[in-house]
Amino acid sequence: MTPGSESRDATPPLKRRRTDSESPRTSKPQATSAPEDDNTRSRPTDGPDDRGRSQDAGRRSRDLSGSRGRYSSRSRSRRGDYSRRSSRSRSQSGFPSRSRSRFDSRSGSRSRSGSPRSGRDASRSRSRSSDRTRSEYSIPQASQTPLPEKTRPNYKPKLVLHGHTKPVSQVRISPNGSFIASASADGTIRIWDAATGSHMDTLVGHMAGVSCIAWSPDSNTIASGADDKAIRLWDRVTGRPKTTARKSAAGNEMAPLRGHHNYIHCLAFSPKGNILASGSYDEAVFLWDVRAGRLMRSLPAHSDPVSGIDFCPDGTLVVSCSTDGLIRVWDTSTGQCLRTLVHEDNPAVTHVCFSPNGRFVLAFNLDNCIRLWDYVAGNVKKTYQGHKNEKFAIGGCFAVLDDVPFIASASEDGGIVLWDVKNKEVLQQIPKQHKGVCFWVDVHGDIMASAGQDHSVRVYRHVRKNGGLVRDGVAENQKLSGAETGGETALPIRQEDVKMEDA
Amino acid sequence: MNMLLSDDYLLQDYPENITNTIRSGHATMLRFDRKGDYLASGRVDGTVVVWDLETMGVARKLRGHNKGITFLSWSRCGRYLLSTCQGWKAILWDLQDGSRLREVRFRAPAYIAEIHPWNQFVTALFEEQPMLVDVSEPVDIKHILPSAPKRTNTNGDAALKEKQAKEDARQMTTSAIWTTTGDHILAGTNKGKLNIIDARTCEIIYTEKICSGVITTMRLTASGRDLLVNSQDRIIRTFRLPNLSVEDLDLDTLQVPLEHKFQDVVNKLSWNHVTFSATGEYVAASTYNNHELYVWERNHGSLVCMLKDPKEEQGVIEWHPSRALLAACGLETGRIYIWSVVSPQKWSALAPDFAEVEENVEYIEREDEFDIYAQEEIHRRRLDAEDEDVDVLTLDQPKAMGWENSFRMPVLFNLGESDSEDEFIAVSTGTMRRRSPGEGQGDDDGYERVPVKKVASKGGRSKKK
Repeated sequence: MTPGSESRDATPPLKRRRTDSESPRTSKPQATSAPEDDNTRSRPTDGPDDRGRSQDAGRRSRDLSGSRGRYSSRSRSRRGDYSRRSSRSRSQSGFPSRSRSRFDSRSGSRSRSGSPRSGRDASRSRSRSSDRTRSEYSIPQASQTPLPEKTRPNYKPKLVLHGHTKPVSQVRISPNGSFIASASADGTIRIWDAATGSHMDTLVGHMAGVSCIAWSPDSNTIASGADDKAIRLWDRVTGRPKTTARKSAAGNEMAPLRGHHNYIHCLAFSPKGNILASGSYDEAVFLWDVRAGRLMRSLPAHSDPVSGIDFCPDGTLVVSCSTDGLIRVWDTSTGQCLRTLVHEDNPAVTHVCFSPNGRFVLAFNLDNCIRLWDYVAGNVKKTYQGHKNEKFAIGGCFAVLDDVPFIASASEDGGIVLWDVKNKEVLQQIPKQHKGVCFWVDVHGDIMASAGQDHSVRVYRHVRKNGGLVRDGVAENQKLSGAETGGETALPIRQEDVKMEDA
Repeated sequence: MNMLLSDDYLLQDYPENITNTIRSGHATMLRFDRKGDYLASGRVDGTVVVWDLETMGVARKLRGHNKGITFLSWSRCGRYLLSTCQGWKAILWDLQDGSRLREVRFRAPAYIAEIHPWNQFVTALFEEQPMLVDVSEPVDIKHILPSAPKRTNTNGDAALKEKQAKEDARQMTTSAIWTTTGDHILAGTNKGKLNIIDARTCEIIYTEKICSGVITTMRLTASGRDLLVNSQDRIIRTFRLPNLSVEDLDLDTLQVPLEHKFQDVVNKLSWNHVTFSATGEYVAASTYNNHELYVWERNHGSLVCMLKDPKEEQGVIEWHPSRALLAACGLETGRIYIWSVVSPQKWSALAPDFAEVEENVEYIEREDEFDIYAQEEIHRRRLDAEDEDVDVLTLDQPKAMGWENSFRMPVLFNLGESDSEDEFIAVSTGTMRRRSPGEGQGDDDGYERVPVKKVASKGGRSKKK
């Protein structure tokens, strides 16, 4: 999840990790403080967590260099240019400034990527102040003029879900559209009712921040990956880990999937739900047999943390991406790499997903661009711009309203941007929902959910214009402001049923 | 979708070496489902194990029989599985929840029970009359099917009639399958006769003596136009089956012409089991008292290869419905061997700016290749170039549309390891691991390497014998 360069070494990259260090509790969202907060706080998260982190960071750099050596030695003979580059970076991997210098060296090797990068690096290093871009969007949605002729996404804030005590790294709507799961740096996963926003369950068990979650296709299982290097499978119905007939230390609860040598960063279920793909900071992609909970295949995928992973709709392909700038397409059944996609500028890729028909791959780059790749032809078909993404692994997705596809993405200024797939035009911009960064957006039909650095999950709903009743911007504005206030005040989410248990 | 990227279609379309060995108990019967996602295996102890071919792991275990499984049959939709055992009964399973949908008892052990696309199945019983069992109603309706050949001379003299009656009494059906349309049943007898039975009237409409021994196995291709018959006279025969479902089926001119005879004239081998390849282009057979699998090509009727790897005789073999993948179960150990093709890694796929070239190519740089432009200029030009229309919703093959509304087997977490025997699981191509009890994670100990033999060319392989 970490995009940026310098964040990768000093403080392990993640969004949540970064925010840990900046005393998360000082800037609390207004409605948050719920009774169970104390509970959470009483868990020995912070102290040991910090220690663990620094150890991990050290270990990580070793791991990285180790695995890179293995990797590049395997492919060096053919890769020429790449291996040269990575061997250079390898020699520096011990130093704290490793990835930064690496990045620079890489950009140096490409003649075209010139000056702008240094400017970006500078901005990255000082981006701690979360309100730096706030003023840019002082005018809310009112400024947009809706085009009446075709279906335009018109998502209005509806609910604010409070409960997480640290930044929320990912939010995913279940495939059947009825639940929302959110993963947070506080080590828990929460399940919410997508319609009412009521809190349904808190999944406790991870020993460190959770960076990714995935829903099984039947919406009954949630997989979560965390910085404790474990992947857990949860039963959505019971809110407990999945049970197996096999006996383990925790009764017949399924043991977490272990095998990755470093933080788990991304997860995806195959469309049949029988395979789970995971990407980790150890630069490998693992394919797990979900039923048996065993490692099926490990792919020496990248030379940097694997930042995103997805299955194509028929399950035969897996796509993975990394901050090394590569997007790789794998054959699920043979484990072979079928295609590698690299943009000329080689920007880090932080999230990747297949289009609904599986013919294209959408890649989220750290140069403020989202690119739509034709992976068969191997070229970029579209570039979407208008959001801000230079530092964090933010996410988005494809969405479909009335058979019209569009692309949604989070933005580092706390907003959400929606684009038309074909003409790359920004269809809707929802500015400044989250204080700080908005990390993730997921859309399921009329429902949209976003996760932010401000510990909250927000839910939006597509408001249809009925016939031609709403004609001008005024009516729109009124409706909008009503929805807005409704969104802010709605939701005294109940928190009573939150229990903290050690699994 | 991987077809868009891989060159696998260029590979040979018959398997050449063992890529996986899977085991759960002692398997005796195998069957792929129609889409080829799952492999059902029947065990000696009566358990039916459904394997997921993607993970090569157990997807479901069905317990209900207490004698060895003799036959398995998938429904068209892939949701129901019919298993037949030596214990005089057949069970129709619902794979949605693993429940027994129907249980049918017979008066004898059953060899074969095959599901019709609609709620019926046909069975061949040991030393008994074959049956058509209709399970569409709550109470099973069993129709006895005739085994005696159809006689044309119904007005012959008494002596001949008596003789025929005696002969008829000795006729027993040993194999019975549905035609693809489900209108007719093809039955093979112990006297080497092929009977075509009309499924509605349960009457034999056509009889022909097609071989001299007992017919042990009959298979059809997916198209239903080719029939493969294995008999105890050590010859495998393929026949062209006429379309039996036409309106004006003329029984008098009906013929089932012989196409090929496959046999090993040198070793006089007999064959345990036979199967068609996915397209019907190849015929594979496992050999009796021998370790090899033979694969013939049907166009010319020539032997293309002999697959020999496991050190045991193999019984039932099954060809995957779409891929070049063959499953065979070992008679002694009950292991399931998966034969397949290993596609080589394309190295240029790893680095897109590299291409594999046969010989040296002189590089001629473009005129503007090293010109320096402002970053913004390049960026703007790129964006301007993106004027192609993209369609992210429409699927390329409308055929594949069915994948989300068809039956999907639920993923179970509670399969457990209640088997007393070790289960071997393939970790990757040619690599296996013995699963220790209680072990949940991928640990590296216990790996067992199976050397994957590099097979030279087809010619060399088949010439060896």
